[in-house]
Amino acid sequence: MGKTIYNEHLREELVYHRLKNGLKIYILVKPGYSRQFAIYAARYGSNDSQFVPLGAKEPIVVPDGIAHFLEHKLFEEEEGNVFQEYSGLGAQPNAFTNFNMTAYHFTSTGKFHKCLDVLLGFVGRPYFTDENVEKEKGIIAQEIGMYQDNPYWRTFSNLLKGMYHSYPVKMDIAGTVESISKIDKEILYECYRTFYNPSNMVLFLAGDIDPDRIINQVEKLFDGKPKSKAEGEIERIFPKEKKGVSKHKIVDKLAVSMPMFALGFKDRDVTQGGERLLKKIVANEIILDMLAGPSSETYNELYDEGLIDSSFDTGYTGEVNYGYSVISGQSRDPEGVASVLYEKIKELKYKPWEQEHFDRIRKKKIGEVIRLFNTLDSVSIQFVSMGFKDIALFDYLRGIETAGFEDIIKEFNQLYREDSSTLSVILSN
Amino acid sequence: MKVVIKYELDKDLNLHVIPDEKFKTVYISYCFHMDLDENYTYNALVPAVLKRGCEGYERQEEINKHLEGKYGSLFDVGVQKRGERQILRFTMDLVNEIYVGMDGLIAQSLYFLNRIISKPVTEGSIFKKDYVNQEKENLKHKIQAMVNDKLEYSMERCIQEMCKDEKYARYVFGSIKELDSLDQNKLYDIYRNMIAACPLDIFVAGDVDPEKISILVKNSMEIERTHRKIIPETIIKKIGVKQRELIEDMDISQAKLNIGLRTNTSVNDKGYFPLVLYTSILGGGPHSKLFMNVREKHSLAYYAFAKMDKYKGILILGSGLDTNNYRQALDIIMQQCKDISMGKITEAEFTASINAIMTSVRGINDDPEGLVDYYLGNVVTGAKYSLEDFIEEIQKVKPENVVEVSKHIKTDLIYLLKPEEAVI
Repeated sequence: MGKTIYNEHLREELVYHRLKNGLKIYILVKPGYSRQFAIYAARYGSNDSQFVPLGAKEPIVVPDGIAHFLEHKLFEEEEGNVFQEYSGLGAQPNAFTNFNMTAYHFTSTGKFHKCLDVLLGFVGRPYFTDENVEKEKGIIAQEIGMYQDNPYWRTFSNLLKGMYHSYPVKMDIAGTVESISKIDKEILYECYRTFYNPSNMVLFLAGDIDPDRIINQVEKLFDGKPKSKAEGEIERIFPKEKKGVSKHKIVDKLAVSMPMFALGFKDRDVTQGGERLLKKIVANEIILDMLAGPSSETYNELYDEGLIDSSFDTGYTGEVNYGYSVISGQSRDPEGVASVLYEKIKELKYKPWEQEHFDRIRKKKIGEVIRLFNTLDSVSIQFVSMGFKDIALFDYLRGIETAGFEDIIKEFNQLYREDSSTLSVILSN
Repeated sequence: MKVVIKYELDKDLNLHVIPDEKFKTVYISYCFHMDLDENYTYNALVPAVLKRGCEGYERQEEINKHLEGKYGSLFDVGVQKRGERQILRFTMDLVNEIYVGMDGLIAQSLYFLNRIISKPVTEGSIFKKDYVNQEKENLKHKIQAMVNDKLEYSMERCIQEMCKDEKYARYVFGSIKELDSLDQNKLYDIYRNMIAACPLDIFVAGDVDPEKISILVKNSMEIERTHRKIIPETIIKKIGVKQRELIEDMDISQAKLNIGLRTNTSVNDKGYFPLVLYTSILGGGPHSKLFMNVREKHSLAYYAFAKMDKYKGILILGSGLDTNNYRQALDIIMQQCKDISMGKITEAEFTASINAIMTSVRGINDDPEGLVDYYLGNVVTGAKYSLEDFIEEIQKVKPENVVEVSKHIKTDLIYLLKPEEAVI
């Protein structure tokens, strides 16, 4: 029924099918697995705070944190709570909202088709009342408070605030206690109608499961329902982000044992996703490992001097419209670490990397992708989030295998510059 | 359900192979058992120093280059607390040879781990001093870093105070005081004693042939065993427990409440499976009494859970709340415990709990590291339940068994970590 895509290298089979209403279904067949994992996600995150509502002409601005608020509220039903329904089936449900997507998922080890009915059912059935919206504000305020105390999160949140002038990624995903106080049921319904359309959603399933039976089941579920037709592209409005960072340094204080830091490099070369973004992601992951990974000169010098420990980490985030690299960790002297990193970056301009180093890191990255397919939830989440950027996960492996040394050098010279960086530090109070 | 094939290689030295063709990686772990005795700080430091280098790979940089070339094999060391013992682990997680066309990856990994464990970089008859000094600092920071995660910190503080006069109060990563007066000779002696005498379990999980693995493990063995060290059993039963309350301050915005309970039940007692169920009904997820009452019904907390440490027979009830709600939340939490012991368990709660446990236990089959942890747990406690046995046993439990086991559960310490300015 669906289209089967087989990847020789990974020895993995993926079935794809698109419903008439635009919903994309992917099934990763994993023989021998005890668990099944399902994720139903909307391309709708905290960044989508300005858009033209479905059927309207003029754009509106909604309170920060509403996508996350909506995620919480969907679990509530007119008759009780979805958690109870899942519990009876022995499944473990959960959900998350990030800057670009909202996802509902469950892990089961039996009764998979029933669980799938529950998932598609409650996400398709919003039930907001004045009372239940008010109640949720208390719970989310507690959640926001919990994040405020988390130094890792604060370091990162401040970094984004420092790097961006106006792009909504600078706002916290959950919003603020003040912003969520403005949320009411009407505005929740408006967001729901616009973004929770099958054509703006993906269903990804993994496990020892039967693709034909699933596709049939889902098709029947949507048949004749109001959402059986595909909607057009949603008009999202994003402010034009200025080049350069808003602040070069942000320092904050919390009860931490040792200062924490995150050094970010803001990418000016932004994309609309697809092949070009894939290339960027691969290039930057390799670059960061070569620059500051565990076998690099930088890492080992800093470690031997006691300036960093094993919490030291790097990563590149590549999204539609924005991107940045982060180098983070704990250190008694974050400024010292930053200046060593700036120094190394300058040095690399006239004493470049060797091909052998590049080949080794590329092997490491290939291993990482193969390893990812061991874990159903990680691979599924990765697949969906890449999909929203028009990148197929199987292509990711190909991207690594075909990455060129010259591309790496070019990307390195483009992005890693002191003048487009922000240092976020949390000091001990 | 997966089988484990056990090979007795020597006294207190066993190999456990868990073959499963669906895995894309091979997970290898050498686990040394040590007593959580007064040398616990030294025990915690040993793996960190060994990780720095060995014969052939004297510097960390060389180790990392080696691993990257092997398609990013993950090598790590660690120390875990399992009841009143520390498990020192040396682990390698590598991509299975068949996916990368590189022969001998497993054999190379075994040789590498053996070298790390038995051929450290030394100066005379002690470890290389630079490595010890750096790792001593890192470990100190790790101990201090406990405060960074308020949830973990408040739980640890609760356990420390609750078990003040027991070995179990010792923090898994050691104490700063001990590190400050570290004796390098003693560190090396403890290490030598570990490899020569402490019980060692080796686990290999992945798409492998057990017979071949047993030969590879034997052939790569460079660890010389000279005598036996017996690790005492963890003390679980505690009589005469009186309920206490302790309130501490910190610069935080959300208060953390942790209630420490003594279950007086070990993994090998007949009350164990009912206790697993008790924990799930009380606070094992969204179906539980704590979640439903503290969070959903009264909106008093963002999280509320019950967590069991089966190795010590302790139950922690944790929640994050506004200090103003402390008394009310405490009352509601305690009421849930009372309700269970009075048999107020609905059919829905009971079934949901059994289902939730079965899902978690079955799920272990899909995770090489989880499988190894589970079977290592069996070695530590002496339990013999396979995952399948576990599921069978849990399904036999009746509500009255849960009520029965709840009678042995005593509240020990109510610990609240609250914001400095907050008043109760």
